[in-house]
Amino acid sequence: MKVEVQNLSLQEREPQIHELVRSEGMRVGITSSIDGGQLITLLIDPTSGRAYLFDTPLEAANYPCLTRRIPACHWQERILWNMFGLVPDGHPRLKKVLLHESYDADFFPLLSERYLSRTPLQEHQGQYQFLEVKGEGVYEIPVGPIHAGIIEPGHFRFSCFGELILNLEIRLGYVHRGIEKKLTQVDWRKGRFVAEAAASDSAAAYALAYSECIESMFSIELPYRAKLLRTLALEIERIGMHLADLAGIAGDIGFIGVASSFQRIRGLTFSMAELLSGQRFLRAFICPGGVVREPTKLTLNQISSCAENLSNQCKVLLEMLLESQGVDDRLRGIGRVNLSLASDFGLVGIAGRASGLKYDVRQFRSEYETFTPAFHKLGDVLARVAVRAEEIKMSIEIIRSVLARLEIPGSSYQPLPDRLPSNSVGLSIVEAHRGELIHLAFTDEQGCISRYCIKDPSVNNWTALAMAVRNNLVADFPLCNKSFSLAYSGHDL
Amino acid sequence: MISLVISWLNFFLAILLLPPLILSLIRKTKARLQNRVGPSWFQPIYDWSKLCRKDETLSSTLTWIFRGSAALNFILVLLLALFLPWISFKPSFTGDDIFLAIYVLALARFFSLLASLDSGSAFGGFAASREATLSLLVEPAFMLALVALGINARSSSLSAIFSYSTDANNQVVCFLAGTGILLSSLVELSRMPIDDPTTHLELTMVHEAMILEASGRNLLLVEVSYALKMTVLLGLSAQCFIHALQANIVCPKLLLVILSYLGILGLAALVGLIEGLTVKLHWRKDPEFIAYALTMSLLACFISIGQGATFK
Repeated sequence: MKVEVQNLSLQEREPQIHELVRSEGMRVGITSSIDGGQLITLLIDPTSGRAYLFDTPLEAANYPCLTRRIPACHWQERILWNMFGLVPDGHPRLKKVLLHESYDADFFPLLSERYLSRTPLQEHQGQYQFLEVKGEGVYEIPVGPIHAGIIEPGHFRFSCFGELILNLEIRLGYVHRGIEKKLTQVDWRKGRFVAEAAASDSAAAYALAYSECIESMFSIELPYRAKLLRTLALEIERIGMHLADLAGIAGDIGFIGVASSFQRIRGLTFSMAELLSGQRFLRAFICPGGVVREPTKLTLNQISSCAENLSNQCKVLLEMLLESQGVDDRLRGIGRVNLSLASDFGLVGIAGRASGLKYDVRQFRSEYETFTPAFHKLGDVLARVAVRAEEIKMSIEIIRSVLARLEIPGSSYQPLPDRLPSNSVGLSIVEAHRGELIHLAFTDEQGCISRYCIKDPSVNNWTALAMAVRNNLVADFPLCNKSFSLAYSGHDL
Repeated sequence: MISLVISWLNFFLAILLLPPLILSLIRKTKARLQNRVGPSWFQPIYDWSKLCRKDETLSSTLTWIFRGSAALNFILVLLLALFLPWISFKPSFTGDDIFLAIYVLALARFFSLLASLDSGSAFGGFAASREATLSLLVEPAFMLALVALGINARSSSLSAIFSYSTDANNQVVCFLAGTGILLSSLVELSRMPIDDPTTHLELTMVHEAMILEASGRNLLLVEVSYALKMTVLLGLSAQCFIHALQANIVCPKLLLVILSYLGILGLAALVGLIEGLTVKLHWRKDPEFIAYALTMSLLACFISIGQGATFK
């Protein structure tokens, strides 16, 4: 996606962005920096899909925070503080997110050395201070960072009153690997492998976002067939992950028959992925310029019959899950996030759509022809299950239509020049299975990537989990958690 | 004399064989419902022998109460197995009163709650609170079911109640009490739809969260007592159903032995079936489920009293 950089002074930044968010209904996609000498703000219009990029030069390491009036920015401004040492003045809860207390106070991984002298050291609070809920009978349950079952690390601190959760504070950053910095260090042709590994359950979405980000710097239009094949990969990944999430939810409520059947038919999406890309997790398939592998007519037919098989089995299973009285009883009204909270905190993907935000990046993309996002109003676990079920059906339809359009032969790769254009900006927005994934890259005079910024959907949605579990029972937390299906590695990067 | 020896041998055989067998049977039933083969029939034995060989890890906050409770619990469950008439060929004892059985059960629970609180973890704390809440609700259901049988048999002695004398048993009362005991056993044993024993999510657990801190031989003791308790409670319920049947058809002794085994296995399969097909209830809905058990027991009581029976 092509985007123009507009200048915005520091004094005007906060009022103007707030005005755009309030009156134009825009959402803040990214607020970050390139090397610590400026602030960049990416605004997205969720009704047209257009993006606006603002550059604000900084004189000092402090700036007025956006969080006060745009709560959706609160997490990204915390990350910005961690990574660049830029202090958002007036931020209500400035705490470490990615770099824990054991890091050096003057360690700002993405900050240019030029600005190091003006940056205040991050004061050591000794131990991380969790928000404490006071009162008689209030107790805390610490869960994690190591969990039962094979999942990633993250710490949850519950403040409970009896069985009721009063507050949940989530602490992440245990799998911070420095992906964004690494992407500025490797050659741009190899960066896709790093991007794919950033959040491996969204490998296709990450590879797609990376490739489109690079392509947008070259301003090259890809062959239609390449776009279709990428769409196919993305939708296969989406179905697979949605099925896995539904299996997880069914398993959590003890509906084991349906849970294991979902797991079984998830295998079909792996088969489809293998047929398409030669790799069951769709890795190393999408590359800048197109795709690395042109499927034969026979393979496409096999994928098509797999999709029909999947469609038939999904129909039965989704009905069993959604029509069951017990499931309805168990999921209804649990973990509610209402529309105003969802839009204030800029929720994306299933979490946003289940609360009534009709924002899906796919509706602005040409490969999808006509696309209407699935959404729900209730915003509870049941709504998120229903939206997932609907999206599985939609994705199967999309796969059918893409396969039909793929019958016309053509090229699926467009060679790219060797060097990236200097002083350019690359942007891509992809609807990963968790929601809006943004990649934003800047190059320097030599045409090397000087900053690669990734906004994973989980960055927005972890807060939703903390809001959803309030005043719910402790025993309902795993269900809420599963219904949001959040990534630790995608967030920590 | 010989018959006494045979009955004791038979009894020990049942105590040794049935607990691991019903555990496997439940697992197998659940696995088949998911189109899986499931673990081997000997898996509980493998698990237990593994636990036997493993070392124990004990938290520094633990006192003797923690390990002592597991041992005491095991003894109490054994005592329960000796007193409760869960199979037809159980050697009888004097003093096997229904209230004794109920209080032995309550005592066992008391010690497992203590052990759970002693562990000092937040999980142990809330699990104990949940267990206490559930037991508070389910105890009347269990007690009333036994009382109904007692009124019906005009005795509070368990061996008199379960004596297979045709005139002492009303089939409707037996059937209702059996259902009441079965439903309350599901709660007592933390099975579905109250608690999911296969979950790995600590925050949703009841029984499993109580024993999170147990390991090695201590855990072995907990697991074995759990399996034995399950056998005994399912057996007790099965006996009620067999008595209801026996009120119509006079069964020879050998048939009763076979029926006793089949009854326990059948109910274990039923538990597996329930776990395979139902959804775990929301914590707030648990009292509604327990109300079913209580209703069955109350109905049994009313019918017994309605017959004009009184304690001797």
